[in-house]
Amino acid sequence: MTQPFLSIRKLRKVFGAFTAVHDVTLDIPKGQFLTFLGPSGSGKSTTLYAIAGFQDPTSGNVLLQGKSLLSVPSHKRNIGMVFQRYTLFPHLSVAENVAFPLRVRRRPDAEVKRKVADMLSLVRLENFAERLPAALSGGQQQRVALARALAYDPPILLMDEPLSALDKKLREEIQAEIRRIHRETGVTILYVTHDQEEALHLSDRIALFRDGRIEQIGTGEDLYLRPATDFVAGFIGNSNFLAAEHLETVSGASTIRLADGSLVSGINANGSFERGQKTRLMIRPEAFRLERSPNNAELSVEIVDIAFYGERRRIVARTSAGQEIDIRPTSSMAATQDTSPGRRRVFFDPGGAFLFPA
Amino acid sequence: MSVEAQQGIAAPRVPAGLSGLLPALILIGLFFVVPVLALLLRSVTDPAPGLQNYAALLGDGTYARVFFNTFLVAFVVTIVTVLVAFPVAWMLAIMPPALASILFGIIILSMWTNLLTRTYAWMVLLQRTGVINRALIGAGIIDQPLPLINNLTGVTIGMVYIMLPFMILPLVGTLRAIDPMTLRAAALCGASPLAAFRRILLPLSLPGIAAGGLMVFVMSLGYFVTPALLGGTSNMMLAEMIAQMIQSLLNWGLGSAAAFILLVVTMALYALQLRLVGARRAVGGA
Repeated sequence: MTQPFLSIRKLRKVFGAFTAVHDVTLDIPKGQFLTFLGPSGSGKSTTLYAIAGFQDPTSGNVLLQGKSLLSVPSHKRNIGMVFQRYTLFPHLSVAENVAFPLRVRRRPDAEVKRKVADMLSLVRLENFAERLPAALSGGQQQRVALARALAYDPPILLMDEPLSALDKKLREEIQAEIRRIHRETGVTILYVTHDQEEALHLSDRIALFRDGRIEQIGTGEDLYLRPATDFVAGFIGNSNFLAAEHLETVSGASTIRLADGSLVSGINANGSFERGQKTRLMIRPEAFRLERSPNNAELSVEIVDIAFYGERRRIVARTSAGQEIDIRPTSSMAATQDTSPGRRRVFFDPGGAFLFPA
Repeated sequence: MSVEAQQGIAAPRVPAGLSGLLPALILIGLFFVVPVLALLLRSVTDPAPGLQNYAALLGDGTYARVFFNTFLVAFVVTIVTVLVAFPVAWMLAIMPPALASILFGIIILSMWTNLLTRTYAWMVLLQRTGVINRALIGAGIIDQPLPLINNLTGVTIGMVYIMLPFMILPLVGTLRAIDPMTLRAAALCGASPLAAFRRILLPLSLPGIAAGGLMVFVMSLGYFVTPALLGGTSNMMLAEMIAQMIQSLLNWGLGSAAAFILLVVTMALYALQLRLVGARRAVGGA
């Protein structure tokens, strides 16, 4: 077995009576873009801070190429980091901010100069070298922070919600920059965010945190298309959960009874269920169809409201059991169908729906 | 202070007429400008017109020694005050606000305590048979009592104690404005704690050090009570000399000249600081 590049081993962090991180174990291959995703207080930032050396874990270990980082003080870990707030040095110019890590390493002037020029061109701020951070916009400051973090070619770059202080348009712009920079430098990135869309756009792999544990780890597609738990299904993308009673499961395909009494078979079962067990059926809003396809299940609903969202329409409908569900057909699909308020049937592929314990 | 607030102050507010300002102008003129001019006038006219008072002060070795002592003490007091105040201010800046406000209260309370009381307390502590000397002898660290009083050591100790709040308060303001994450960022950039202090924290706290330092230095130059009680006769400071000239020698001209020199030096220092740090920071704004 080859040695993992960065390895987190049974990491645990306890604050008084509160356990922020419960024995998190994780291997990260070199060059991967891994995102810690989760709600606030889920332990994702605490895990990142343990890697950065800001907080000593209660137990467990962090290994970089087989060597423990824990006994190494922050300033000798050789890790790059971009923070939520920009944390540039306000008294130093953009160029001197980027040069800072090289200056404290006492690199020769010529090398510092060359590297600063390289980094500023990497983040496309060549013309801002002599400005002070206060004279830059938030997005520009965060790009300087990125350049500073990468200036000494750290093997790992940590990013702690770097885009949360920026507005939506800037966020998308910097996301594209981060993707490009990851591609061009090949640096291993650990990225913390609570924004699932950001995680899906950026990451090679996502570790979804919940209450100090990793709920599921995998590619964005894994988490979206094959959620391991209802928490994952609820956190990534939009989901409808319908109350259902489990009847039987034969070779991974379940048959259930919905609240309105209709039977649906061929559902993806996550785990094993008893006969008669209360369960929840998860269907993505965009998985609903307005016209029947072979093997589709159907649901009788009353359409309550329709809104136009550009590429998609959003339909709010109520099942005959009185539960509201969210349906998002593409606009072109909806255009060919009568979606005026009233009763109608909607359809879904049971293979793309998931059953979770209630 | 925010940029908007700065502009709010800088923006010219044109008064409807100067008449509204008149009471304030009269007050300032009567109580601030006229006395200084009278001081200047007396220094060049008493006992006879001419610059003989200044010549006497600047040409005489005894007076020169007093000036030297005064500047030496003010300089040393300022340096020691900065060194003691910085860690205290940093602690106050980063500790939980509730705890910090209690410590602030204690510091302010000491400022409100009568100056003479505090200085006499230092006499009790510092004298030959005082608490400090007896404790050190009792512990077997020294055989003979240390000369802690009636000299510049005593003056320095007493004055640093009096001046500390004037240094701590502006410094805490400056340090609080520094984002602690900036120091974490510096650490991850590879800066050792010492390098982070030297390259980041110290430059960022300079405005506070300069504001507090100027105040302490200027106050020390003209200080009377503490040098009079804790200092010795052989190393008099300027304020004591002025008091002596006017009270004992009744030489108002010489006393005025000495006071005027002190004023000019103080103003020169303030001007220097304005140039170095900028007017905005000299008044304590961050």
